[in-house]
Amino acid sequence: MEPDLRLNEPDEPDERAAGHVEIEGLAAGYEGARVLDLDRLSIRKGEFLSILGPSGCGKTTLLNSIAGFVRPAAGRIVIDGEDVTGRPPYRRGLGMVFQNYALFPHMTVAANVAYGLRVRRLGKAEQAERVGEALRLVGLEGYAERRPKQLSGGQQQRVALARALAIRPAVLLLDEPLSNLDAKLRREMRVELRAIQRRVGTTMVFVTHDQEEALALSDRIAVLNGGRIEQLGTPDEVYRRPATRFVAQFIGAANVLEGTATGTGGLDLGGLVVNALPGLPEGERAVVAIRPERVRLTAPGTAAGPETGAGVAGTVGYRSFAGDAWHAEVRLADGRTLSVRIADTGAGASDPPGAGTPVVASWDPADVIVLERGGASRPATEAR
Amino acid sequence: MTSAVPGTGAVRRGWWYVLPLAVFLVALFLVPLVRLLRLSFSPVGPYNAALPGWTLSQYARVFTEPYFYGSLLRTAGTALLVAVLCVLLAYPAAYALARRRAGVLRTLLFVIVISPLLTSVVVRTYGWVVLLSGTGVVNRALVATGLRDQPAQLLTSYPAVVIAVTHVLLPFAIIPLTTALGGLDRNLHRASQTLGAGPVRTFLRVTVPLSLPGVVTGALIVFALAMGIYITPLLVGGVTQPLTGIRVYDQVSTVFDYPVAAALSFALLALTVVSTALLAGVFRIWERRLHG
Repeated sequence: MEPDLRLNEPDEPDERAAGHVEIEGLAAGYEGARVLDLDRLSIRKGEFLSILGPSGCGKTTLLNSIAGFVRPAAGRIVIDGEDVTGRPPYRRGLGMVFQNYALFPHMTVAANVAYGLRVRRLGKAEQAERVGEALRLVGLEGYAERRPKQLSGGQQQRVALARALAIRPAVLLLDEPLSNLDAKLRREMRVELRAIQRRVGTTMVFVTHDQEEALALSDRIAVLNGGRIEQLGTPDEVYRRPATRFVAQFIGAANVLEGTATGTGGLDLGGLVVNALPGLPEGERAVVAIRPERVRLTAPGTAAGPETGAGVAGTVGYRSFAGDAWHAEVRLADGRTLSVRIADTGAGASDPPGAGTPVVASWDPADVIVLERGGASRPATEAR
Repeated sequence: MTSAVPGTGAVRRGWWYVLPLAVFLVALFLVPLVRLLRLSFSPVGPYNAALPGWTLSQYARVFTEPYFYGSLLRTAGTALLVAVLCVLLAYPAAYALARRRAGVLRTLLFVIVISPLLTSVVVRTYGWVVLLSGTGVVNRALVATGLRDQPAQLLTSYPAVVIAVTHVLLPFAIIPLTTALGGLDRNLHRASQTLGAGPVRTFLRVTVPLSLPGVVTGALIVFALAMGIYITPLLVGGVTQPLTGIRVYDQVSTVFDYPVAAALSFALLALTVVSTALLAGVFRIWERRLHG
């Protein structure tokens, strides 16, 4: 079981934990083809912020703007009170970790880590001390004289992390640093990355397309889509209360239903009425989402707890076993489908019925996420 | 024929595919080379005719007469100078080419860069003559601007030879350098910059060391070609240039002493092979130390 990283208390909060980033009106790309268009993003001192979004959403452009590799078309980037918008990357004092590690192949591990310290003309003794400290931090004490080529992918990424942290940056930018690692190593590195962040207290901005990674690591997540922030919030906020349809579907899976409230707890999807919705006034249009793991399947006609009658009837389209859970698809009367995830309890007790079996899909009204509501009420026949 | 281990039969049959090339190389390269080697050990009779028998006297002449061994030293020095000039001139061009995104402009630049290879030696040399002759563009400009009272002897000078040979061989340095520089991970430059190193330091500490294989490859190719080049120096510098290639040409075409020409050729070949092998060997050791 993976520990809940958010519950870890910091070992020793570091006094060097500066790193407050203010981004205002930032735009990148060209007029009419904006890659990035942010009103405002405030990255707090010492926080672990993930920038999450699909490829092409502008997350890498945002990171490169902060780093100074992309010149924004408009807007300001202020780090610890200083406007760095016009500064070249080498005068920003930020650390950066790349997806492909970007270690200098012609230098030893120690020389890689010392690179930024040599540039800063630190004394030999202090360099050695800081290199040792950084390598200890990432658990690579014995590897100082190795070449990057002699290390595994995970070790190389640790060296890259040590190299970026050795200069004690106020902010560390991470560009999909775990994407090149295999699944098991990625999970281990996740735990370690968060532990390191807790120890050094550096503000970290972590770009990823992996929602699971973002949920596990972050203090806050900024969900980016089409160059705009769709939602900014803690992992539980963006998962439990997604602000938009995009967020609901990008983070985790969601059954999104769109229709008109019946006023009696139903949602008319256009002929088909789904029950068990929070009280919306009759005739109001709404878009709602229900997480697959919140849906239960029961045999038609059986009492299913306090919310009996809440839900919708259908037949099982298919079911598949995913180890810790079952995935099933319920086909409704009008042909649309609901995905359902049922945690496996072992011994077959929780197995969903086989394909073709009539079932009732039901859920707790509290689990229904209202994404959009209001707007003109249209006749049910036009709803689809 | 069936084979017990799958694949070995196919591998063995694969040798047949290189047979035409092997025949070609043996007939047109190895055989003449062996005959030339034999010739270099032949004594000469009256009118420098090669006689049957064996002697080391041709090699003795090559290594004792300054006319011959001096040309070998001069050729090696010239080749080294040309190699250094080519790398220095090629580096910025290759850097510009490698950084440019693929497109029409880059293709055009690349064609311009390799154009010396695409023009015939006669056209190219005529171009140099037009520029460097007594009434050529350069001399007229020198006189017109008052830098000189009368035209300088540019055409048959040693500097003209170095300039022309550098021009001809420049593409052989640009091509490997462009490949080496183009293969560099852009993130390495970015990593260097985020660590506080400006463009100059990044260039010196990251770009240059990592492009050294391209530098060495380019320098070795240019060096080896400059050792044997003779048409361009002959046309630009004249038959009196003390370069081995021209000396061999002279022995063959005016003195008709084939055996000594052969011995001089082999001395040049040996010098080329040994010096390039040494350079490559030193680089290998250095690179192994670097990359572990």
